[in-house]
Amino acid sequence: MIHPLEQLRDNALREVGDAGDEKSLEAVRVKYLGKNGSISAWGEQMKTLAKEEKPVVGKLLNEVRAAVTAAVESRSAQFRAQKESEALTKIDISLPGVSGYSGYAGYTGFSTPLTGYSGYASLERGSLHPLTQMLERSIEIFRRMGFALADGPDIEDEWHCFDALNTPPEHPARNEQDTFYLPDGRLLRTHTSTVQIRAMQAAPPPIRVIAPGAAYRRDELDATHSPQFHQIEGLYVDENVSVADLKGALEFFFRELLGSDTAVQFRPHFFPFTEPSLEVYVKSKALKGGERWIEVAGSGVVHPAVFEQVNKARGDKAYDPEKWSGYAFGLGMDRLAMILFDIPDIRLFAQNDLRFLRQFA
Amino acid sequence: MKFSVNWLREFVDLPKAPEEIADLFNRAGVETKNIEARGAKIDKVIVSQITSSSRHPNADRLTVCEVYDGSETKRQIVCGATNYKVGDKVPLALPGAKLPNGTEIRKSKLRGIESEGMLCSPIELGLGEDASGLLILSPDAKIGASISDLVPVDTILDVEITPNRGDLLSHFGLSREIAALSGKKLKSMPPEAKIEIKKSGVTIAATRECPFFSGRKIGKLKVGPSPQWLRAKIESVGIRSINNIVDISNFVMLELGQPTHAFDADKLKGSINVRLAREGEKFLALDGKTYSLKPDNLVVADQERAVGIAGIMGGEETGVTDSTKNILLESAYFLPASVRSTARELSLPSDASYRFERGLDPEMVLRASQRATELIHELAGGTQAKEIGAAGKLPANPADVSLSYEKCDRIVGISIKPKTIDEILEGFGLTKSKGTSKSGTWKIPSYRRDLQRDVDLIEEVVRAYGADKIPGTDRSRVMPSSAADRSHDIESTLRERLVARGLSEVRTSKLISRNASAFSENAIGLRNPLTEEHVALRPRLLSGLIGVLEGNVRAGAERVALFELGRVFVPPDAREERRAGFLVWGKSVSDPHWRASDQRRLDFFDLKGVVESIFPEELSFQRIAHPNLSIAAEIYAKKRVIGIAGQLSTLALKIDAPGGVFVAELSLDLPIQGLGSRATFREFGKFPAITRDIAMVVPEDLVHEKIWEVIFHPMEPLLERVEFFDLFSGAEVGEGKKSLAYRLTYRAKNRTLTNEEVSVAHAKIRERLKRELRVTLRE
Repeated sequence: MIHPLEQLRDNALREVGDAGDEKSLEAVRVKYLGKNGSISAWGEQMKTLAKEEKPVVGKLLNEVRAAVTAAVESRSAQFRAQKESEALTKIDISLPGVSGYSGYAGYTGFSTPLTGYSGYASLERGSLHPLTQMLERSIEIFRRMGFALADGPDIEDEWHCFDALNTPPEHPARNEQDTFYLPDGRLLRTHTSTVQIRAMQAAPPPIRVIAPGAAYRRDELDATHSPQFHQIEGLYVDENVSVADLKGALEFFFRELLGSDTAVQFRPHFFPFTEPSLEVYVKSKALKGGERWIEVAGSGVVHPAVFEQVNKARGDKAYDPEKWSGYAFGLGMDRLAMILFDIPDIRLFAQNDLRFLRQFA
Repeated sequence: MKFSVNWLREFVDLPKAPEEIADLFNRAGVETKNIEARGAKIDKVIVSQITSSSRHPNADRLTVCEVYDGSETKRQIVCGATNYKVGDKVPLALPGAKLPNGTEIRKSKLRGIESEGMLCSPIELGLGEDASGLLILSPDAKIGASISDLVPVDTILDVEITPNRGDLLSHFGLSREIAALSGKKLKSMPPEAKIEIKKSGVTIAATRECPFFSGRKIGKLKVGPSPQWLRAKIESVGIRSINNIVDISNFVMLELGQPTHAFDADKLKGSINVRLAREGEKFLALDGKTYSLKPDNLVVADQERAVGIAGIMGGEETGVTDSTKNILLESAYFLPASVRSTARELSLPSDASYRFERGLDPEMVLRASQRATELIHELAGGTQAKEIGAAGKLPANPADVSLSYEKCDRIVGISIKPKTIDEILEGFGLTKSKGTSKSGTWKIPSYRRDLQRDVDLIEEVVRAYGADKIPGTDRSRVMPSSAADRSHDIESTLRERLVARGLSEVRTSKLISRNASAFSENAIGLRNPLTEEHVALRPRLLSGLIGVLEGNVRAGAERVALFELGRVFVPPDAREERRAGFLVWGKSVSDPHWRASDQRRLDFFDLKGVVESIFPEELSFQRIAHPNLSIAAEIYAKKRVIGIAGQLSTLALKIDAPGGVFVAELSLDLPIQGLGSRATFREFGKFPAITRDIAMVVPEDLVHEKIWEVIFHPMEPLLERVEFFDLFSGAEVGEGKKSLAYRLTYRAKNRTLTNEEVSVAHAKIRERLKRELRVTLRE
């Protein structure tokens, strides 16, 4: 059985929906929620109810009042938005934009592109985000070293993110706890190393690419950790690529970036997809906080098991580990930007406060 | 993981300075995160015994203790801790003592009660991070003795062991590695287990997950507190002392890497069976929690129930207690993958599982059992069984690995003498079984299961030889530019143009909160978000830009003009697409300036100009309706929709932003492909131009686009360019009308124009406007 209050609610909601303008909506509001409105009247009626009924009806009354109030508010918002839009319909959006196109002769309708702009100078100077500046500087150096760019998706499958990189499910380094998953089972790449695999799938050796991009880890946001961060991945596969070549390349890069007196150190480490694996540390006067070793990259010689996985996926023997070898590296760009620009907190990057951004204009 | 330098020195000689040790570790690939000095001399802190304890009359959280410090009179101390009982021995800081954290102890009154010193927690004495209660000392500590005598001077190194090196997770294992890298000899080896193995008392039902299991009975022992040396050792690396049996088990794990477990033998019902759990089998673990198990979880069971989750944690019911008399000491080899998946499934990582899942040395299983048995006999007086009950087979030694010296040189990039390579590998415990001048076949020791192929051996050579001794080489190769290069360059050009127009680039998070703001509707959610702020993938750039606007307006900005280039994830399948987003709001200049009298506010046409300026082809803006926009337009390039633009509805904003907020978002995937393409030269006239203005009054709803079309169709050959330069409405124009003004420029390619020629052309256009649009021309 429907309680009379529920009936009242249904009627009110219908009338709110039917109200054609603000005036009639206000009338509906007064009718139900006004001082003498029919829902308000139930407050008085409550007093006459039996003791055991009171809490039940009281709860229902609150729910009904909330539902109708919300409906009135959202309908009213709709009217306000409508009114706002109506007031703005008089604006002719086909008028020329400020410093947009100018009507040059040769105009023959929309099919021919125009190439001139009218003059109306901006008094402001804009700014490039510091992370972009860091990426651009790095990319420029790598390009001078003969690297082409490569790209891959942020949303990846487990094979590209783990298995192909010699990290099978039982591997202790395969940490699903730190990985964001989508409902369909795909994941957000935890490193840009996935692009190594994609680049090798797409083309046979030799290959020499860098891939700037975002990666994700299930970390709490604090001054030094962010669930989304930025890397530049590098991969070079050719005949006889060695540890010495890797060292030479990264030494060159960091000296270009941080100054010719930068010291670069390689320390043995472990990554499943490289063997040998080396962590890269730099020490430079260009960095605030004195001369100390700062970890800036992971690197190593591509593990033959990675080549074998790629061959399997390609269905050929293009990456024969006996014929080809390669090095790979991953640089943490947020960290590099932080140490180079002396930025104390990684959260500043995503906050985009103009007082921050314009310091780097 | 924490290592005690004193303990390591029992096995291998180390440099004196902790920094030098850390440096040695670095070379080995073991990163030192922290170096901590322990047991620095602290004066006037002594061993005391609590003889009574009562509630503080004026404070609920405090107690008043009487302590015996070896002198004639007992001392009264006010104490805030609750973890002690009367009779416990605890450190007492006497008045005048200066603690490592700088606190000076004085006689004082606490809430009206005299306190003659302070009872100390571990953190107050610089002995670890435990601040939860008093440091309870061993019962055999001598009352009145200085605390410095109890805590030996030591250095604790907190180091990171990479997941491939399970063999380094013990003091012996790390010492063995240091010995190999520094060319030193190991001082001692763990005991050999010379004991008869009896195939009884244990059965293994899950032989894949548990290749080998052993249990040794030790009887008539006495459970009690551990001696001071044992407590100090395990506590120095952060393990709490429980009782002598549990402490010995932990000690052996820290020393040799092999976890063992002691069951109370009298509580076991029948012999041990190692099997997979039954679906939903309940298990009460030593941490006091009950776990519901699944059939892929390996358990150690007796004939009735599970008594341990294999390799992870023992059971509460069969744990060692003060009344335990007989134990069964487990030492086993479990499949790393099985331990790992169970520990993760149950969210129950332990010191034991950490080691098991990284792969242990099969040869250490019985040695560890022997070492623990000997210690138990020595410290708890047990008598061990002559034989050990076991089942299964320990995994065979790793397969031999061949290495060609030439390949080693090729991968390293320099030439290393075969003799040097051989010496390095022998140093790591490998033995050459076959060898020629070109290559060698190497026997791998049982604890180095990570050495599986030639590159693994090459890494050992690099580590021992020293990466710093390999000179970097210059090596280059040129690559043709790729599609990614081209789109990167296009975006760089866009950024330059937008910055030149006074816009600031932002980079907002691709992870957003659910319904962060308008334009985040239908965002694809993450299955396992960690925090509220990052639960979904942005479906558009605009939600982020609106957030940035709100933050900046709150911070007092007067002009916000932003753009972002980046990826979005388009519902419903999260297709990745590159977009450009724009937002302009506020004054046309950020700050007052003596040359900038213009206080005009940015509006839709500023936004439109920005959008137009970055695209090579002409765009058209067509009105649509949009729930979040009070002016809404679709942007067309040729006949394709490439984005939207408009004015934000005030309902879509959480802040008050007077004057309107203007936004646009466009796809970068296709329309910009032509950007940067070569423009071709068009001749500009050498002869003078003549300009004529047309001013007209038109109905309010007649749009510029229409007038534009009429002016240009058909094209007057002498017309060079047209500019729209004035718009107004009001009483003088009349209700429902507006006034527009255009400037037309005429020029001929090959001669000076005459006024007459221009008047003829101009008149044609004026006529067309009157005829086709019925405008009223103003003179």
